[in-house]
Amino acid sequence: MSTTDDRIAKAAGFLLYSPPGEVDDVFNDIRGIVNDDDALQQHIGPVLAESNMQQFLAVDVPEQQSSVLITPYNQVEEGRYLDPNTRTVFRFDHLRREASDAQDGSDLVVPETEELRAALQKALSSYVAAHYSSGTVSVFSHEGSVVSCIVSNRFSPNNYWNGSWRSVWSFNPESGQLNGSTKVRVHYFEEGNVQLDTQSDFAADVKADRVKDMIAKFEGEFQQGINDGYVMLAERTFRGLRRTLPVTRNKIDWEKIANYKIGGELANADNN
Amino acid sequence: MADYDENDQQMDCALDLMRRLPPQNVEENLIALLEVLPELTEDLLSAVDQPLKIRQDAQAGKEYLVCDYNRDGDSYRSPWSNEYDPPLADGNVPSDRLRKLEMAANEAFDTYKELYYEGGVSSVYLWDMDDSFAGVVLIKKVNDGTVRSKGSWDSIHVIEVVEKGRQARYKLTSTVMLYTVASGAKGDRQNEINLSGSLTRQDERDLPNEDASAHIVNMGRMVEDMEFKMRNALQEVYFGKTRDIVNGLRSASDLSESKNRERLQRDLFGQLKSRKD
Repeated sequence: MSTTDDRIAKAAGFLLYSPPGEVDDVFNDIRGIVNDDDALQQHIGPVLAESNMQQFLAVDVPEQQSSVLITPYNQVEEGRYLDPNTRTVFRFDHLRREASDAQDGSDLVVPETEELRAALQKALSSYVAAHYSSGTVSVFSHEGSVVSCIVSNRFSPNNYWNGSWRSVWSFNPESGQLNGSTKVRVHYFEEGNVQLDTQSDFAADVKADRVKDMIAKFEGEFQQGINDGYVMLAERTFRGLRRTLPVTRNKIDWEKIANYKIGGELANADNN
Repeated sequence: MADYDENDQQMDCALDLMRRLPPQNVEENLIALLEVLPELTEDLLSAVDQPLKIRQDAQAGKEYLVCDYNRDGDSYRSPWSNEYDPPLADGNVPSDRLRKLEMAANEAFDTYKELYYEGGVSSVYLWDMDDSFAGVVLIKKVNDGTVRSKGSWDSIHVIEVVEKGRQARYKLTSTVMLYTVASGAKGDRQNEINLSGSLTRQDERDLPNEDASAHIVNMGRMVEDMEFKMRNALQEVYFGKTRDIVNGLRSASDLSESKNRERLQRDLFGQLKSRKD
């Protein structure tokens, strides 16, 4: 790989650190930095695919009244994804973010876990509707497990903020293991760049009919943990860094500091 | 004026990118960016604020802060001894008059730092301009604290001073970088939250400059007022706004229940109202 290729690949990699809702802005920055669209085109494809799957992009399934998340768990081959709810497989263009070429995906349904998957999809859909004002959940059969992906985004760039909540839950019906990971990122950017980044992992043994309840419990605890963390940050961490006012509760008497400590020396400097 | 060329475009995009990438990793992001744009190294290093680094002045036995403003080649000047480390025979130093003011400013802000930060490190650097001077006030405080809470605060106040008779105009550009990490209350479970970032604000004032100590008094008040405002802004933005956004992403209570409650309240209000009428 030549040096130029290395540099372009490195620039393209910034896309994966894009704040929620700002992938297009980061993409434009990368484009301006690389300043060579043809060369960038050769490197950006796989990164865009990874970025869309990382962000759990929600897309409308062509020819169906259904939407599904773009994730690593329903990618059936490069650029093709399955919506298990409508048993449709379709092509997804990661650059244009367009779905097309819908085909019957019945043969991709995993019979061993389909009943459980469909039940969990139903249960989690009502859970997500109850707790996320703009959330989406997709449940997939993946490598013997049932994987549930939840995403809730709120983008308000005109008010200088964007936020995203993502969680992924993998339940193995044979072992009864539930493993999960939740992640929240918030970007606030009025006259600055402030970001919250928090992630937590969970694991538990659970019966299949309790999976939804466990997810609800863990996610509730995660949210509570963030709120507790905020109290800790505000009341302890921040206060320990800088006081609002000195112990005297008065602003500093600069005349006194300047004259007392150093006035004499400065006056001498002027006389020299 | 030069045309908007390729380098300008790359610089603008690089700075926009830095305003979007996680401030938690500002140093790694900048290193990666320098590998992509090696020809803009100098410009990027002076345009992108990074957390301040602490060095030891062996001669003065005191710590000082290093940044692009006290750098000459690969050496950094200490505000206490005025010496470069590693030593430089002909390193840039302020004129005698400005050095006296710099020493006084370092003393004054050292006191300021003790009163507000109760620890930490401060450094003030001044440099001569054509018929005026400019300077930077740096403060760093790190709290390794407990396992459950740690943080750091970096202030960078760049001040341009133009003297006009018995008045002087002060232009202040202040950046505060904050890094905070805490763990939620769930004891055994890892639930670390990292809230970090930077804010930048500006201020400009014309102030009397009647005696030798006036610059210290004026710069001191401006920095103090600015830090007061920025601390409040950080508190509001950091601990208020971003928390509200999190709780807007997920509702702790059941949204359908709260909708039902709202409907009940409306009905009740309607009944009360009709009773009154």
